[in-house]
Amino acid sequence: MAKIPELKSHHIWAFCLILYLIPVVVPVGSPFQISEITLKIYNIIENLPEGSIIVMGGSGVFAFDYEPGAAMIASIKQMAKNKLRLVGIPLGMESLQLHKYVVDTAKVMQADGGPWKYGVDYVQLPFIPGGDAALVRLLTSVQSVVTVDANGTPLENLPLMKDFRSYKDITLWICPHWGYPSIVRYVTGERGVPSVMFAHAYSYTVYAPYMMIYPDKVWMTNGFLGGAQYEKLVGFKGLGHAAVDSYTLISVAYVFFVVLGNITLLTRVKKEEEEAEAKK
Amino acid sequence: MSSSIIYVRTYLTRILLIIGCIATLTSWYFVSPHADIVANELYNWNVNIGTFSLFVGVVTLFSRYLKDISSRKEQWEYKFLGVVLIPIWVIMGQTAGVFSDLYQKAYFNTKITLHVAILGQLMFFMISGAYRTYRIRNFRTLLFASCTLIIVVCNASWLMTPFPIADKISYWLLNNPSMAGYRAMMITGAIGAVVMGIRILLGLERGALRATEAR
Amino acid sequence: MISTDPWVWLSALLTICSYTLLYGDNPLFRIAEQVFVSVAVAHSVVMGITTVNTRFGPLLTPAATPQLFITLILGLMSLFVVWRKYAWIASIPISIMIGVGTGLSMRAMMRTDLVGNLSTVIMETSRIFVGSPTDQLGYFIRVTFTLAGLVYLLFTVFIRGPVSKPVGYIRTFGKYVFLTYLGLQVGNDIIMFQGLVTSAVVRLFTTWLGI
Repeated sequence: MAKIPELKSHHIWAFCLILYLIPVVVPVGSPFQISEITLKIYNIIENLPEGSIIVMGGSGVFAFDYEPGAAMIASIKQMAKNKLRLVGIPLGMESLQLHKYVVDTAKVMQADGGPWKYGVDYVQLPFIPGGDAALVRLLTSVQSVVTVDANGTPLENLPLMKDFRSYKDITLWICPHWGYPSIVRYVTGERGVPSVMFAHAYSYTVYAPYMMIYPDKVWMTNGFLGGAQYEKLVGFKGLGHAAVDSYTLISVAYVFFVVLGNITLLTRVKKEEEEAEAKK
Repeated sequence: MSSSIIYVRTYLTRILLIIGCIATLTSWYFVSPHADIVANELYNWNVNIGTFSLFVGVVTLFSRYLKDISSRKEQWEYKFLGVVLIPIWVIMGQTAGVFSDLYQKAYFNTKITLHVAILGQLMFFMISGAYRTYRIRNFRTLLFASCTLIIVVCNASWLMTPFPIADKISYWLLNNPSMAGYRAMMITGAIGAVVMGIRILLGLERGALRATEAR
Repeated sequence: MISTDPWVWLSALLTICSYTLLYGDNPLFRIAEQVFVSVAVAHSVVMGITTVNTRFGPLLTPAATPQLFITLILGLMSLFVVWRKYAWIASIPISIMIGVGTGLSMRAMMRTDLVGNLSTVIMETSRIFVGSPTDQLGYFIRVTFTLAGLVYLLFTVFIRGPVSKPVGYIRTFGKYVFLTYLGLQVGNDIIMFQGLVTSAVVRLFTTWLGI
C-alpha cells in the first residue's frame, strides 16, 4: 500500500478556510431539530405572567459569551413580545458591554422600533465589582449596592426599579455568561430563584451537574446549536443559524481528517512491516 | 521593619480574615441581626475595595512597558503603541461614557473582534491537532476518539435531520457519562475548597497573604 | 457592496491581522496583539474610573459616611500589591476580601457542589430500576461513573493490602470515565470555536465586503 504523506497544517487550515467561505457565499440553510430542553426553556419564558421581572446577569468574557448571545438575543425578542421586564446586572468587567450588545441587536427598544421603554421595561445597572460578595448583597437589597443605573440616572427615577428591591422580585434569572456557578449557588441554591443559562458548548458539559441537582429550577441550552434552536422558536435567523450552517461542513471536515490521519497511520504501519519483512 | 510591627500586621490580617469568614457563615446559618449587620457591611466593603483591583493591570503594564521602552528592549515599538493607545482610549471612554454607542462601537470593533478572531483560530488548531493526535493505536485513543466523533456527528444537522434520534443521543451522552465525569471533579473540587478554606482560617496556607510569610 | 463604515474597516483589518498568525508570527499579528492588550487594560481603567465615581462620589456630598472613607483608604492600599517592597500594605484589604470570599465559597460549595451532588447521586441510585430502559441505563451510568471518578481522584495514594486490587480496578475504570468525559467535551467544543470563526468570516465577507 502506498505511503500517504503527512499533510502540512497550513494545507489543512487553507482547506478549512475555504469550507467556511462556502456557506457565506452560498447559504446552506441546514435544517435542524429543536431539542427538548430548548423548547422547555422557551415555554417557561412564554408562560411567565406579563410584567414579570427577568434578570440578565453574571460575570464573563464577552468573546466567550458571544455564543450564548445568540440565544439571549432571541429570548429578549420573546420577552419584549410577551411584555416581560428585564434588568441587566453586570458582575464582570465586560458584562455591561455584552448586555448592551444583546439588547441593541435584539432591536426591542422604542428607538429601534420595538415596544420597550428604558426605565419602564428595561434597566441596565452599572458594573458591580466584588464578585460573589456583590451578588449576595445585591440579592438582599439592590438599592444598598447600586444607587444609579449605567447612565448615571438615580434608581428612584426609574419606575422598574421601584418593583425590584431584592431577590424576591425576580421571577427568572438568565445568565448568558461564564460565571454561572455563582448564580446557581447563591441565586438558585440559597434563595430558590429559577435560573436559565444559555450555555457555551464547553460550559454545558461542565455545568450539567447543576441541572441534575436542581432539575426543576436550573435549565441550560447547548451552545450555538441551542442558540439556533431558540432563534427558530422565536422566528428569526441570527448568528446561531449561521454557526449551524458552517458546522454542517466543518463537522464533515473534522471526521474526514481524523479518518485520513488513521489511514495515514495504517499505511505507515503496513509500510514498516513490509520493510521489516524485506530486510529479513 | 521591626519584628513587633510584623507580628501586629500578621495578627491583624489573621483577625480580619477570621471576622470576614465567621460573619458570612454566621449570618447564613444562624438568625443573628448583629452578624447580618457585620456581614452586609463587609459585603459593601468588598465591593468598594474590589473597585480598585481594576487599576492593578494598568499599573503593572505601565511599569513594565516604560522600563522596556526606555531600555529599547526587544519589540519595544509595540509596547510604545500600547503606552500611547491606553491614555487615548481612557480619555475617549471617559468623554463618551462607558454605556454610550460610540464606546460600544469602538470596543466591539477592536477588542471583541480581536478576541473572537484569536479564539476562533483554535478551531484550525483543533482540526490539524485532531488529524495528528486521533491516531488509534490502543483502547484509550479509540475511546477518546470515538467519544469525540460521536458528539461531533450527532450535533451535525446532516445526521440530525434524517435521524432525529441523533439529537437525543447527543443529549443523553452529555447528560449521563459526560455529566457524571465532571460531577466527580466537582465533588472533589468542593471538598478541596472547603479544606482550603479551613486551612486559610487556621493560618496553615502561607501563600494566601504575603504578610503571613516569615521574613 | 463594500462597507463605508470606518469601524467595520478597522474590525476587518484587525481580524485579518489576527489570522495572519496561521501563516506565521509577523509584525501585523504583533500589532493586533498589542491593540488587544492595550484596549483590554484601558477598558478596565475606564470601568474603574466610572465605578469609583459612582461608588465614592457621595464622599463629596453630605451623604458621606466614615465607612466610605475607610473603604477608599483600604482600596488605595490594595494597589500596593504591585510593588514587592510594599506589598505588605495590601495584605490588610486583601485579608478582608479573602475572609469574605472564603466564607461565601465554603457555605455555597458545601450546600450546592458537595451536598447537592451527593444527594443527587443517592437519589439517582434509587431510580436505577425505575423508568424506561434508557433512563435506567442513564441513572446507572451516572452513579457508577461518579463513584469511579471519585475513587480515582480521592485515592491517589497507593493503597496496600487486600483492597488494593479492587480499588486499583475501580481507579482504572475511573481513568476511563475521565477519558470519556474529555472526549465528549472536546467533541461538543467544536461547535463553540467554529461558531466564533463563522462570526469572524461573516464580519469580513458579509459586513465588510458585502458578499
